[in-house]
Amino acid sequence: MTHETITRPEWSTVIDPVLQKELEQHVLVTSWDKLLGMVDTIYNWGRRSSLWPLGFGLACCAIEMICTASSRFDIARFGAEVFRGSPRQADLMIVSGTVTKTMMPIIARLYDQMPEPKYVIAMGACASGGGPFKEGYNVVSGVDKFLPVDVYIPGCPPTPQSLLNGLMVLQRKIDGEKIDIPLIGREGNTAWYRDDVEREIPVPVLGPDLIDLRTVELAAERTAMGLVEAREAGLDKPALIPAPTVEHAPPPETASARPARKLKHAVARPSLVWLGDERLAQLADDLNRTLGPGTAAIIQAGLLIPPQKLVPVAFYLRDKNPIRYDYLVTIQSVHYTDCIEVVYHLDSTGVPGSLIELRVRAAEAEGAGEVPSLYDVYRGADFQEREVFDMMGVRFEGHPNLKRILMWEGFAYHPLRKDYLEPYYEAPAKVFPSRVDDGLGHHFRAEELNPHGTNLKAPRNYQDWGKLSSLDDPKGRLLVPSGVQVEELATDQYVVSMGPQHPSTHGVFRLNLRVDGETIVGLQPVMGYMHRNHEKIGERNTFLMNFPFTDRLDYLTSMANNFGYALAVEQLLGDEARPPERAEYIRVIMAELTRIASHMWSIGFLLNDLGAFFTPALYAIEERELILDLFEWAAGSRMMCNYFRFGGVAFDLPPGWIERCRGIVNERIDRKIDELDRYLSGNEILLDRTKGVGILDREQAIQFSTSGPVLRASGVAYDIRRVAPYSIYDRFEFRIPTGTVGDVYDRYHVRLEEMRESVRILKQAVRDIPDGPILPRKKTYQIKVPAGEAYSRVENPKGELGYYVVADGSATAYRYHVRSPSFINLTALETMCLGHTIADVVGILGSLDIVLGEVDR
Amino acid sequence: MGAGVGVVRGHLITLRRFLLTFWRDWKTGKGFSRRGGGALLIDLFHGPKRGQEPTVTQDYRTDGLFTVEYPDERLPVYERYRVLPVLIYDADDGNVRCTACKICAKVCPPQCIWMSQAKSPKGTVLPLPEDFYIDMDVCMNCGLCAEYCPFDAIKMDHNFELSNYERHQSHIFNLQDLLVSSEFYARTHPEAWASADEVSERNRVAKKRTQWLQKVLASAPQKPAESQAPEAAVAK
Repeated sequence: MTHETITRPEWSTVIDPVLQKELEQHVLVTSWDKLLGMVDTIYNWGRRSSLWPLGFGLACCAIEMICTASSRFDIARFGAEVFRGSPRQADLMIVSGTVTKTMMPIIARLYDQMPEPKYVIAMGACASGGGPFKEGYNVVSGVDKFLPVDVYIPGCPPTPQSLLNGLMVLQRKIDGEKIDIPLIGREGNTAWYRDDVEREIPVPVLGPDLIDLRTVELAAERTAMGLVEAREAGLDKPALIPAPTVEHAPPPETASARPARKLKHAVARPSLVWLGDERLAQLADDLNRTLGPGTAAIIQAGLLIPPQKLVPVAFYLRDKNPIRYDYLVTIQSVHYTDCIEVVYHLDSTGVPGSLIELRVRAAEAEGAGEVPSLYDVYRGADFQEREVFDMMGVRFEGHPNLKRILMWEGFAYHPLRKDYLEPYYEAPAKVFPSRVDDGLGHHFRAEELNPHGTNLKAPRNYQDWGKLSSLDDPKGRLLVPSGVQVEELATDQYVVSMGPQHPSTHGVFRLNLRVDGETIVGLQPVMGYMHRNHEKIGERNTFLMNFPFTDRLDYLTSMANNFGYALAVEQLLGDEARPPERAEYIRVIMAELTRIASHMWSIGFLLNDLGAFFTPALYAIEERELILDLFEWAAGSRMMCNYFRFGGVAFDLPPGWIERCRGIVNERIDRKIDELDRYLSGNEILLDRTKGVGILDREQAIQFSTSGPVLRASGVAYDIRRVAPYSIYDRFEFRIPTGTVGDVYDRYHVRLEEMRESVRILKQAVRDIPDGPILPRKKTYQIKVPAGEAYSRVENPKGELGYYVVADGSATAYRYHVRSPSFINLTALETMCLGHTIADVVGILGSLDIVLGEVDR
Repeated sequence: MGAGVGVVRGHLITLRRFLLTFWRDWKTGKGFSRRGGGALLIDLFHGPKRGQEPTVTQDYRTDGLFTVEYPDERLPVYERYRVLPVLIYDADDGNVRCTACKICAKVCPPQCIWMSQAKSPKGTVLPLPEDFYIDMDVCMNCGLCAEYCPFDAIKMDHNFELSNYERHQSHIFNLQDLLVSSEFYARTHPEAWASADEVSERNRVAKKRTQWLQKVLASAPQKPAESQAPEAAVAK
C-alpha cells in the first residue's frame, strides 16, 4: 500500500509561464468582456457551487454515486448534495451506468424536462461509450448518441473519488462559461440563451429496435436495402449442437471449423447435490407406472418429459410423490439443432437436497415451439416462462399473461436464439479475429461495423416506419385487465405508473399499480430497463472472460456472484479444479463479507424507503465502506472484484489483510449490528410501517419460488449453504434465522440476524484459515472445459443464485443462464402488495431487496 | 403504537453521534482543522499541492465522522487497485517489455485491446507491438490482461482522475499514451515489483538480452558498434 499519491510524469502538462501570459493578454479577454467577465465569474461561481443532480441511477455506477453522497465522500462539500427526484428541479444529470435501449426514451424525456442550463455527466465506461456491454443488442453505445455530454468519467465503475473529480472538471467547465447578452451583442458560449439553438432531444421510439427519430428515414432506407443482412452473410455464425441423448453422441459433423477430436464429457449430474442416479431411475419408473409408459426417460441425469405430460407430471411430483417437489428452482432454455429444450429444476423444501431436472422439448423453428405452462402448478413459473418466451420464442400454453418481459412488445427478435445475430455481431466466440490477426490490428469502433453506424438492426421487411411515435410506450402498455368492480366506494380505479425513474424503486424498475382510491388492487412489475444482455454476451465469452461480467450482475455482491460461477464451471471440470484449503477459506470469507455489506445496504435503504431518508443508510454504508476497503485491498476494486478463478482465487491475500479483517470481524461488526438493532428494531415508526405489512405466508413463499431472506422470513429454513452445501460451509457452525409471519419486519429481521450468523462464520474462518497455495495448478488462461451441463447454486445475499452452464467442449459456454434471485422474488410482489397502499408498496419492494442488474441481467 | 418516543429517540441518536464524534475529534486535536487542508484554521485557498495530499486510512478502529476530503486528502491507493491498463518500458534501456504475444487481447473480456506485431523491413516479425490500442470506453478495468501477461508488460494503473470533456479523440489510447516507465511502475506497485515472480522475470529478460547482445556482437565482428544496433531496433 502506498501512502502518497504518485503522479505519472507523462500526464502532467506544464504551461510555460511566458506563454501563459501571452495567452492571457491576447486571447482571453477584451475590454467589454473584462467588465462582463466579472459578472460571468460571479454568475458561474453561483452555479458551479450549487449543482443539483437528478436523483437518477441506472446501474452499477449509481451505487458509487450513492456512496459519493454518503458521509465518507460527501458530495455536499461541492454544493451538489441536493439530489432531486424530479428532473424539473435538477440541473445536472449524472448518467450513472449502462444506458439500455429500453431506458433511452425515458432518459431523453427526463433530459427534456430539466430546465436550462443543464449539464450531463456520463459516468463510467457504459454511459460514455457502451462499455463492456457495448456488443449487446439492448445497449446504447454511449449516451452521447442522444444527449450532449459535458464530462466523461472513465472507469468501470469510477470510484466516488473519480466522480468527485468529474464534478470538479464540470465545475471548471462552468467557470469558463460566458453568458450571452443579446442587448449589447455579446455572444457567449452558452447555447441555452439563444433562440436558434434547439436543445430539446426528440424522444427515441421503441419500434423493432430503438429508433432515433432524427434519422428514421435513413434507418428505413438502409434496412430496406438489407445492408445488415448483407454484412452478416460474410460472418461466421454460431454453430448449433444437437440436444443430449441417452448416450454421448459423437461430435457433430457441422460446418464449423472445430477440429474433430474426442470430446471430454463431464459427469452427468444436474447439480452437485441432487437426488442421485438410483433414486432418479426409481422416480422415472414410478412416473411411467402411474402416468403411463413414455412419461419419463432419463437423459443425462434429467427426466425427459413429453410436453403433453408435463402438467400431470408436475402435479404428481408436487402432490403425490413421496418426496414432495413443491419448489420450482429455475426454468432455463437451450437452443439445440433439433429442438428448444426447456429445463426445469425442482427441489423439495421438505426433503431438501433432492434436486431433479426435467427436460421438455419444443419445436426449434422460431415461434413454433410450444410447451404447456406450469403457472397453475408453480406460480414461480410466471416470470421465468415469460423470460423464456421473450428470449427464445417458446410459447407457454395456458400462461395467463404471456408477454415479453425484458424486451418490449414489438421488438423484432428473440435474442437468445442462436440464429439471432446482434447489430454489432463479430464472431461466434471470442477472441475476435480482428483484435489479434496481423494487419488488422488497427482500431475500429463497433459502430463502424454496422451499416447503420449505430447499434441498430431491424428486419428487412419491417414496414411501419411511418407509424413510430414517441408517445407510444410498448414496454409499459397496461397489462392489468380492467373490469374489476368495487361496489361500496364510488371511486374509479386508475393506474399509476411508478418508475422506472423513481427514487424508491431501487434502480430502473417500474410498477404499474392499479389502485382503487388508495388501495392496491393490481400490480404489474415492468422490467427490462437494465437488460444488458449478460447471457448473450456470456455465450460468446470464454469461460474465464465471464468472471468480470458476473461481477456486474448483482453489483452489490460481486464476490458472491463470482463464487457461483466458479462453482458451475468447477462442477464441469471435476476434481482437477478442486480448490486448495486456503482458497476455500478465502472464498468463504469473501462471500460472507459480501453478505454483510449487502445486508447493510439493504437495511439502510429499507429505512430509506420507509421514509427515514438517508440517515440510517449512512450508518449502514459506513460499515459497508470498511468491507469495500478490504475488497479493494485484496482484489483491486471496490465493487467489481473479479477475484475468483476456477479452482481458487486470483491472488493471495496481501500482507496485513487478514489482521484488519480479523479486527473488523472480531471487534467491530458485531457492535455495529447491535447498534443498528438497538436503534431500529424497537423503533415505533419502523414497527408501524413494517409489522403486518406485505405478508407472504409459508405456502405462498414456496409456491412463488422465492428464495433467500424472503423465503426464510416466511418460516422456511431453506438455505443453500445448508440444504445443498457447497465449498466448505459444512464445516462451520451457524444458525439459519427464520421469521414467523413473513411480513416486512420479518424480512428485515432475518437480514439482521443473518449478518450476525455471517459474523459467526467469519470468526471461525479467520481463526482457522490455513497457509498454502491458492490455486491447484499454475494459472492459465486456456481452460479446457469438458462437455456437459452444470447447475450451481449459491446462497447469495439476495437469495439463491444459480448458474446453468451447457458446455460443448469449446472454449465458450454453449448456453449460459443465470437464475437470478431478485428476478424470481419479484413474482410474489403483487400478492404481497394487494390491499395495501402505494406507500407500503415502496416498503415491501425495499424488503425484497432487488438489484436491477440481476433482475434484468 | 407509541406516543412518538421513537421520533424523539431517533433525533437524539443523530445528535448524540454528532456531539460524540466532534468530541473525539476535539480530543485528538482535530476539532476545527481540515485534516488535509492548509495551515490556517479555515483555509479555503491553500490546499496541499498535487501529489502531496495526505492519505487517510480508515480501519476498524476508526470512529467518528468519516469524510475523506477529496481532493485535499485521499483514500490510500491499494497496490492492486486497478483502473486502466498501461504498458511498461524498462527505464534503464528504454525497451518496451511487450512482445506482442497477444495474450492480453485474447483474455480481454470486452475485447478492447487491439494490437499488431511489428515487422522488420525484411518482413520478419519482431517481438514488439507495432500498434497497441485500448478503447477505454469499452475497458471494464478487470485486470485480466495484467494478470495473464507472461512478460509483466501490461499493468493496471492507479490514476483515476481521467475525466475529460471529449471522448471520440481521446478515449482510445495508443501505444504512446499507454507507455510508462518501469520506474513509475516500481513506485506505484512496490510489492509486486519486489515479488519473486517479477524479479525472476526481470532477471530472465536481462539474461536473454545479454545473450542476444553477445550473439549480435559476435555475428558482426567488423563493426565496433557495441550495443547501439540492437537498441535502435528495439526502440523502434
